[in-house]
Amino acid sequence: MVVTGRAGVLAGLGVLFVALVMPSWSGIGLVVAVVLLVCLLDLLLAGSPRRLQLSREGDNAVRLGEQAVVTMLVANPGRRVRGLLRDAWPPSAGVQDPPHKLDLPTGERRRLVTRLIPTRRGDRQAYRVTIRSIGPLGFAGRQGSHRVPWTVRALPPFNSRKHLPSRLARLRELDGRTALLVRGQGTEFDSLRDYVPGDDVRSIDWRATARRSSVVLRTWRPERDRQVAIVIDSGRMSAGRVGDAPRLDHAMDAALLLAALATRAGDRVSLLACDSAVRADVRRPAPEDVLPSFVNALANVDAELVQTDFRVVVSQVLERLRQRSLVVLLTGLEPAVIEESMLPVIGPLLRRHVVVLASVADPRLAEMESAKADLIEVYGAASAARSRLDRERVTAILSRAGVTVVDENPDHIAPALADTYLALKKAGRL
Amino acid sequence: MSTPVGRSAVESWHVLRTPLLITGVIVLGVIAVMIATAARTSGPFSPDSAEPNGARALAALLEDHGVQVTGTEDLDDAVAGGQDRTLLIAPTGSLSRYDWSRIANAGWSHLVLIRPSDRALEELAPGIEDASDTLSIDSREPDCELPAAVKAGTVTVGGSSYSAPPSAQTCYGDGINHTVVRVETGDRIVDVIGSARTFTNAQLAENGNASLALNLIGTHTEVVWYLPQYESSAYEEDGGEEQPVVPPSVRYIAWALAFAVFVVALWRGRRLGPVVPEPLPVIVHAAETTEGRARLYRRSRARDRAAAALRESTLGKLHKLHGIPRRAEPTAVVTTVAARTGRDPAMLYELLYGYPPLDDAGLMSLSYELDLLIQEAEHP
Repeated sequence: MVVTGRAGVLAGLGVLFVALVMPSWSGIGLVVAVVLLVCLLDLLLAGSPRRLQLSREGDNAVRLGEQAVVTMLVANPGRRVRGLLRDAWPPSAGVQDPPHKLDLPTGERRRLVTRLIPTRRGDRQAYRVTIRSIGPLGFAGRQGSHRVPWTVRALPPFNSRKHLPSRLARLRELDGRTALLVRGQGTEFDSLRDYVPGDDVRSIDWRATARRSSVVLRTWRPERDRQVAIVIDSGRMSAGRVGDAPRLDHAMDAALLLAALATRAGDRVSLLACDSAVRADVRRPAPEDVLPSFVNALANVDAELVQTDFRVVVSQVLERLRQRSLVVLLTGLEPAVIEESMLPVIGPLLRRHVVVLASVADPRLAEMESAKADLIEVYGAASAARSRLDRERVTAILSRAGVTVVDENPDHIAPALADTYLALKKAGRL
Repeated sequence: MSTPVGRSAVESWHVLRTPLLITGVIVLGVIAVMIATAARTSGPFSPDSAEPNGARALAALLEDHGVQVTGTEDLDDAVAGGQDRTLLIAPTGSLSRYDWSRIANAGWSHLVLIRPSDRALEELAPGIEDASDTLSIDSREPDCELPAAVKAGTVTVGGSSYSAPPSAQTCYGDGINHTVVRVETGDRIVDVIGSARTFTNAQLAENGNASLALNLIGTHTEVVWYLPQYESSAYEEDGGEEQPVVPPSVRYIAWALAFAVFVVALWRGRRLGPVVPEPLPVIVHAAETTEGRARLYRRSRARDRAAAALRESTLGKLHKLHGIPRRAEPTAVVTTVAARTGRDPAMLYELLYGYPPLDDAGLMSLSYELDLLIQEAEHP
């Protein structure tokens, strides 16, 4: 049951009536009775919101920051329904439209469009559809809600895809597919071809030349069909907010760029998001399916407030990878955690695979270290310096153990990781 | 497809009718019991009050002797009047002069005024005046010809006393003023009693109090026991300073306005559906621990640790800038840096490897000096 502004105006006129015509209890009674009667009549004449039939269609997934459109079909088998319809979603679903105006005569259907721009990653579920049906007089009405389930998945935005073209160009140079005077770099034998002036004489295949009348050159290319395992730490170290997003989101961005690049380079990429348990797991998808399956798997991963169990991480990775592979660990460079819980268990991984540890650095620490205007800031600078020294120390320890460490600001972590991958590929370490 | 949320009107009725019925029965029962047991009046000198300052004992005594007592707080009952009836006015509340005169003109055969106000005396018992002399509560002799007083004999009285014209019968006084005064004007008898406590539950049993009360009040078979309140009836063409400040119609307008406000509140207050819950992720500032450590340093004045961190950081930069081996001896570092920057080696040693600063100013200057050194090393 709802009343409208008209009922308020009627009651306001009642005040004038009491003041000017009947300043007595009976005057008040008359006003109250008239207002109640009109509202009751309107309430009885209003169409039932409960009898409406609602259904949805539209987008199921949208990249974060873009717009999803969900359409609702409202059918009215009962009396005419006029009023408002609110399609309620959680605030982070980012509903763009105000409540819809509804005028639905008997037996008709309407299509209402709700546009969503989600503000956070993950599944957003429609909450309720509330319909307010106002009676023909416009004084009062009925209100009821429906549950019309629908889920829109907000996928990771993959902002770093702007870096992909330049890295692909570098990859082509590496491949030797670009028209260059130098030979293709890499360690894997590709093919033999005739020597043209300008080629590196060191690449001449003398045995093949001996069999033929012309000089034959051996060409190389980088290794293909290698395994790349991307492991995203979804534990408490990824919960920290750097800039305007948690470390986890920056890590996902970097992981997606690496996955796209490695897929183009012909490697097989798999994904694991893990803290004390596995949160997302994509094993060797088909090349064209890598990005869709990754974003889908990562959409609902949130940082858990638990310490990541690196024994679980190591055993999961070892179980997945048979041949020598590149393991990219996206985690935080937290000295205490690395020393106490990661280094003791990471040995088996280092013996069999190439390990890269990528961490999102916080630019705030650099700011703190350079600001020394007053005593408070000097203590802050000292504390930030201590943090940096600790990180450098643990980075040195990791490097000695054979781990390549990438520690970059949020803006640079994705391209830096891609460059590290290209460098490893170029060096033939995969 | 959609599923409606909540119950329909019919379902709600089916679910709610039994609890509603039970609640209704309980409420009605409670109301009935309250009406049945409720005293019509309450407070000091009330015929329904069993408190020490009440007068239930007197009312019961009167009823035992065949006098019908009707307690009331309503002015309308007091101005109804009536032949062969007694109006007892208790010493409570306050009425306007106009209301007192309405009671005076109502035609009561017998008025009993217990400790009346000056205004009431003027209107109801002209000639009797409050002597503004309070007698102590004491056992007193009647000292008069009034039959009721003579029968009662010694009575515990005290309180306000009155001076009366010679025509009046005056009892229980100190010789000049009296606490019980009876005047007869025409066919009306007016008793003025200054001592309210004499007839309360607490003192009725003392001396001849009960007898005096019975004989004074029980003259007619019907007593209206009126406890004045603080309200006043509508004014008529009384005019002058007693015109009400607020015209009576304002009260009705206010009620109508309240109803309108209620309707508007219903209109504005109803939400279009419930508030949607949002599951929020945990968000921690990544630099929180570093900032927390900075505050800890400051609170515990850990100048030594802060200085050590700053020095170590500076040394790290110098190592990189000058290509000094990581594990070089302090003297070797100092010599190299002194050679590059042209600083005094002893001062440099003190700056890089010296004692921690003794106070905050020392820490500030150390931090400044270290910055300066880095700048010099970067741009020699």
